[in-house]
Amino acid sequence: MSNSAGMLYGGDEIGALVFDVGSQSLRVGYAQEDTPKAEIAAVVGVGTDANQVAEPMDVDKKPDTQNINTSTENTKYYVDTTVLHAARKGVEVQSYMKDGMIENWDLFEKVLDYTYSKCIQSDSEYHPVLMSESPWNTRTKREKLTELMFEKYNVPAFFLVKNAVLAAFANGRATALVVDSGATHTSAIPVHDGYVLSHSIVKSPLGGDYISMQCKQLLQGMDIEIIPSYLIGGKEQVKEKEKPKWTRKRNLPEVTTSWHDYMVKKVLQDYQQSVLQISEVPYDEKQVSSLPAYHYEFPNGYHQDFGSERFRIPEVLFDPSMALMGNTMLGAGHIVTTSVGMCDVDIRPALYSSVVITGGNSFIQGFPERLNRDLSVRIPASMRLKLISANGSSERRFGAWIGGSILASIGTFQQMWISSQEYEEAGKSQIDRKCP
Amino acid sequence: MSTDVRDILELEKAAPEITKESILGPQDAKKKKFSHVLTPRSSRRPEGMAREVFALLYNDNKDAPPLLPTDTGQGYKQTKAKLGMRKVRPWEWTPFTNPARTDGAVFHHWRRVADEGKEYPFAKFNKKVPIPTYTDAEYAQHLQSDWWTKAETDHLFSLCRQFDLRFIVIQDRYDEKKFQKRSVEDLKERYYSICSILHKVRKLPGAEPKAFDADHEKRRKEQLARLYNRTPEQVEEEMTLMTEYRKIEARKRERDKKTQDLQKLITAADNQSDGTKSEKKTVARKKFTQVRPKIDTSVIETAGIKFPDCKSSGVSVRSQRMKLPASVGQKKMKAIEQMLQELGIEENPMPTEEICQHFNELRSDMVLLYELKMVLQTCEYELQSLRHQYESMSGDSKEPKPAASTQ
Ligand SMILES: Nc1ncnc2c1ncn2[C@@H]1O[C@H](COP(=O)(O)OP(=O)(O)O)[C@@H](O)[C@H]1O
Repeated sequence: MSNSAGMLYGGDEIGALVFDVGSQSLRVGYAQEDTPKAEIAAVVGVGTDANQVAEPMDVDKKPDTQNINTSTENTKYYVDTTVLHAARKGVEVQSYMKDGMIENWDLFEKVLDYTYSKCIQSDSEYHPVLMSESPWNTRTKREKLTELMFEKYNVPAFFLVKNAVLAAFANGRATALVVDSGATHTSAIPVHDGYVLSHSIVKSPLGGDYISMQCKQLLQGMDIEIIPSYLIGGKEQVKEKEKPKWTRKRNLPEVTTSWHDYMVKKVLQDYQQSVLQISEVPYDEKQVSSLPAYHYEFPNGYHQDFGSERFRIPEVLFDPSMALMGNTMLGAGHIVTTSVGMCDVDIRPALYSSVVITGGNSFIQGFPERLNRDLSVRIPASMRLKLISANGSSERRFGAWIGGSILASIGTFQQMWISSQEYEEAGKSQIDRKCP
Repeated sequence: MSTDVRDILELEKAAPEITKESILGPQDAKKKKFSHVLTPRSSRRPEGMAREVFALLYNDNKDAPPLLPTDTGQGYKQTKAKLGMRKVRPWEWTPFTNPARTDGAVFHHWRRVADEGKEYPFAKFNKKVPIPTYTDAEYAQHLQSDWWTKAETDHLFSLCRQFDLRFIVIQDRYDEKKFQKRSVEDLKERYYSICSILHKVRKLPGAEPKAFDADHEKRRKEQLARLYNRTPEQVEEEMTLMTEYRKIEARKRERDKKTQDLQKLITAADNQSDGTKSEKKTVARKKFTQVRPKIDTSVIETAGIKFPDCKSSGVSVRSQRMKLPASVGQKKMKAIEQMLQELGIEENPMPTEEICQHFNELRSDMVLLYELKMVLQTCEYELQSLRHQYESMSGDSKEPKPAASTQ
């Protein structure tokens, strides 16, 4: 807005909402704020049990009548941690995301309903919406999303931006190479002047979920039982490596396998976040075993030190040959150099001089340092290499969201929105032209 | 704040000090008078007083510190910051249209009530790169190409418009399925050639748009790519070559310098022998000058010892004239000593006028002799080492070596 002296600041707030749609969670909040208002897991509990007493917190929207859905009147949807983490009979956990894109639209709608009513607590028709999408989102999905937002939620304006672009913006760059290590994959995405160079994206399916799986295998191999906390009624202190003494909670409802697995994954993720570390140089059993071990206690009271295994598991992100079975996947350093190698020579120096690290999985200790080391041995010495990773945990975790928050509140951006008028006139197909 | 910084940096105060008044504009008259009275007293910091201490004395209300405790001042009780003395200007959540949009969509934002009716402030940043358009007729007449169909050219131009001539993005989004894969240079070449054709055909004023040299660009990029794709070994090799080259250069420079030094010595010897000695030296000199490259002798100063002129006013001891100047190094002094001993001359003869002069000349010649000897030694040494090098390199060559005969 302009002040009395006629000076112009860059921002103009128009009450827009920013949605960052990730495989792990959906982040929502008002543009111009510095962190999202809410982070909602990208999974929904679907219950078919009619006899369940409804919790005050859950959203039980009746399915739209025109939906040819076979779901009965009694289908219940459990969104967000508070209600999702309570044990319930017959509640299946389903994700609406697949490969970084929205797959199950019904569930996604349920989450949006919940978001508007519980997190934003305002009606959708008052707020323009800026959404993030994965850089490889398909045209049909983009059009479908546009249609959904305008037709069902009546948003006054809508815009879609690739999350890599937003992550670059959040770090103050319009040109950058974004390394996004998220739940389902690790990818290198070149961004030039705010546009993704889609032909030079390189990704590998080694992400946080893969690491969780490896942790699970490791713990099973060590004969450590992973008991999620919902099963635990009480526990006693035991000595290190001693068999845990815990009692099972009684009167537990009959939960589904998918829900149980989800709760197990939560334990694994905590383990992963606290214990794992990436060694700064390529993994070397001897060198690593001299480093301090990490003491970890599981929810059931079992505890022990973890030494070299805490380095071995995440090593696969940088050296996929560590994975069992002869593997042809690329390590993080390799992903970056391959991606840059596919870009025009003229922009390579610019890309290497701002490599932006984002995504939850990059929080594994030592990730940026190792990437820096791997890249500096791979790229020509004459090339200036600079890695940018926001230090604050929320800045990196919500990188894409923050970028969206910035973008949606820039004065000059306000002309970019697809307004409802434009949607009425030209339909959903304009999304490809307006939000390239 | 800014005065603090100035103080710390020890800068002079800028002429008109920025005060609250100058920022906030006119104040009521009483206030003005008040501040006017006080300004003469707003004194400079006394020499030597620490900035922090002065800041304690000389605070905002600009009064001298009280000598007795008083209760008239407000002390810390002044709770309200006396900023902006104007009335607040209200803001309102108002609808607005943005002239940069073509659809007249209405959004809402916070805006000062006073600013009502003004144009959306960001609309003026809506700049577009002008991309020329062509008519069908123009295309048919001038723009045909063997490599490009009209449809593809249209596609290119629409992308240029959409991405404001960001050719790298255009190339990325180019419809390769419908048309063909094009390099950035191909796209640029087509675009710029059309621009310049249109410019000519329409006889537009102004300079003709710059031509795009696709071949040159392609070659440049190829080279750049090759530069980036060097393997570490190649880079290393290049590095060693560079250092070797530098070494050779340095050696060459050293040799030149030596030649120069030698020349200097020769000139000095010649000068000294001029007039007093026989023509033998001149012959030698001639021989040298024939062999040696001629070096600008004007820059060469005479070797030997340069005794300072003892022309300073006042009385001085004559023996002072025989003192070796400091420029003569330790080694040379030793050499002089030794030679004097060999000749059986005492080191500190009686400094009569004559002795002084001759003694100095003698020693000067001694130093020259010493230097020449040294040069001869190094030259011989070099010759020797070169000979060895030559022998080892030409190993079993059949031709008789000149060195062989001396062995
Ligand atoms: N502090 C942490 N340490 C290690 N891993 C983490 C941390 N926080 C999140 N993760 C992992 O990051 C992944 C989620 O990344 P995120 O960027 O949120 O994914 P997406 O953007 O695809 O939704 C999860 O697999 C989670 O295990």
